Amino acid sequence: MADRRRVNGPVGPTAPPVYNTAAHKPIAKEKADNSIRKIFLKTGVTPSASGSAYLELEDPKANSPSSTSLKLTCTVHGPRALPRSAPFSPHIILSTHVKYAPFATKQRRGYLRDSSERDLGVHLETALRGAIIADRWPKSGVDIIVTIIEGDQDRNAPENKSDEGWDMMNVLSGCITVASAAIADAGIDCVDTVAGGVAALVARQPNSPPAIVLDPAVSEYHKVFAACCVAYLPTRDEITNIWFKGQLPGADSMLYNRMVERSLVACRNANRVVITALNETVRPGKESA
Amino acid sequence: MATTQSPLTLSSATFAKLSPHPYLLANLQPPDASTPSSRTNGRQPRQARQPNINTSSLSHAHGSAVVRTGDTTVICGVRGETLLTTDIPNYRAPDVVNPTKSDAVAEADELRDYDLLVPNIELATGCAPNFLPGVPPTTLAQTLSTRLYSLLHSSGLVDVEDLRIYHDRPEKQVPRHGDKMEEVDADEEEEDTAEVKAYWVLYIDVLFVSFDGNPFDAAWAAVLAALRDTKLPPAVWDPDHEMVLCSRKAPSSLNIRGMPVACTAAVFTAKEKQQRKGEQGQYWILVDPDRFEESLCDEALTVVVDRTLGETKVLGISKSGGTTVGPQLMWKYVTVAEERWQEFKSAL
Repeated sequence: MADRRRVNGPVGPTAPPVYNTAAHKPIAKEKADNSIRKIFLKTGVTPSASGSAYLELEDPKANSPSSTSLKLTCTVHGPRALPRSAPFSPHIILSTHVKYAPFATKQRRGYLRDSSERDLGVHLETALRGAIIADRWPKSGVDIIVTIIEGDQDRNAPENKSDEGWDMMNVLSGCITVASAAIADAGIDCVDTVAGGVAALVARQPNSPPAIVLDPAVSEYHKVFAACCVAYLPTRDEITNIWFKGQLPGADSMLYNRMVERSLVACRNANRVVITALNETVRPGKESA
Repeated sequence: MATTQSPLTLSSATFAKLSPHPYLLANLQPPDASTPSSRTNGRQPRQARQPNINTSSLSHAHGSAVVRTGDTTVICGVRGETLLTTDIPNYRAPDVVNPTKSDAVAEADELRDYDLLVPNIELATGCAPNFLPGVPPTTLAQTLSTRLYSLLHSSGLVDVEDLRIYHDRPEKQVPRHGDKMEEVDADEEEEDTAEVKAYWVLYIDVLFVSFDGNPFDAAWAAVLAALRDTKLPPAVWDPDHEMVLCSRKAPSSLNIRGMPVACTAAVFTAKEKQQRKGEQGQYWILVDPDRFEESLCDEALTVVVDRTLGETKVLGISKSGGTTVGPQLMWKYVTVAEERWQEFKSAL
């Protein structure tokens, strides 16, 4: 039954436009394998929330309408008292919520959360739980809400190309980074600022050997074999969450370790952006050293 | 902090939180006549927040806009999808060959009957502490969506001609000449066998990033800016594949009729016992209220005006709650809305 609390549109099925010609593939700026895309991070976008942050990733293909691909906003509400009906909790109760905007991806998203969004929410929660000093707020809860305004997908990818969900890795790492900045903006005590990073095993051309790259823009590669998203606390050198997906070719047992190590490099890079953005909030106008 | 400094006075933030209504009243009604009355946010009662509009910032939508007025930030994305006429129940082919006199009426019916415009507002993004996700749309979100929907239709903003996807019947077609199909779009008015095969459906999704009062004005401005920014690819019906095919070249903008702008004000009234002697029924019109003011006012007035053709056209007046605003006041308020229209005009 249709949801009568929203404007539902026509009864019949609607289809996204199908093009008669393939889009010419713009030539991407050459990005070094061991660097991540530029991150724009700003805190305090939602003044009425306790803490908030906005994150954008640079798009290496400069001729798209906007020069950025991934866009996320995060709001943090709390810590606040749990409702009276809730059972006693000795520590803070985190609830994370990740939602794509209807216009965020190539396929229009509905307003109800689907399984991939719930999945991202659970990963985000484990990543953050390790960073927050939860014992300082007994009997209280905090809501962390990430809205994906634009996903990390190629607009010009052909319709029939199956989407294997590799972009979810980049989205998750962005969610972790932006949520970390928003939590710090809300003034919730953390052991460290957690940051997300992705490393992937990819083949650039159909016959090229697999190589490990950081922060992969999925559409630029011929095939992605495996990807690994890590949430990392740099000063404590601790990992709070690992999400590994895909298959490693061959019997190289060290390949997995190497991928995790490479994603830690991506995390450290992202963390520097978080620190700079937070410094800017604390001391506006003054460039942090 | 404030209590340790001087235990007898409160900081204004504490005062605002403890007793919001007298706080706003004290600001609007300063004790000595020399200080002008102003709102808690420092604005004059008739002063609105300056709008700031950005378009084309999203890549997956056909048109998009970000509108900021003060701390209210709204994103609107317009996305076109195709709907085949065979999938529309009770479909009646429009008379495209001989458009009748009551064309405008028929067009509006087409848009409304087949639900070609689908506006939705999402407030549950944590944009304010009382809008948290995981709950069904609140009453406010439902009301706003419905108001957008009815204003979109009543203002006749979108031309249904832009949304029709045509096909010329095979007997008239020049046999197998690649480019012929695309030319059809341009001169379908003359083509006496053109047939509507499909429609574009515009999904208009409005997302609040930050909420600080006056949601309708901001949302409507975002919808308007996004629709003006929308470019749909040229599309034709392909009889061989039995589907709609779009081409990559030269997407065309929609013809947007006019530029209606909504202007909302809240009416703040002093309570009986707060009123000064001899001043009965004092009220203040607060144009473009913020969240704090909205929570204290029962009465709200929205006027939608359009001055594209030089003279002011009122597209809608809606008023809810309270008994203060009468016909005279509404009439005076239209001039405020005219100023607001000018502000949005320069921002767009």
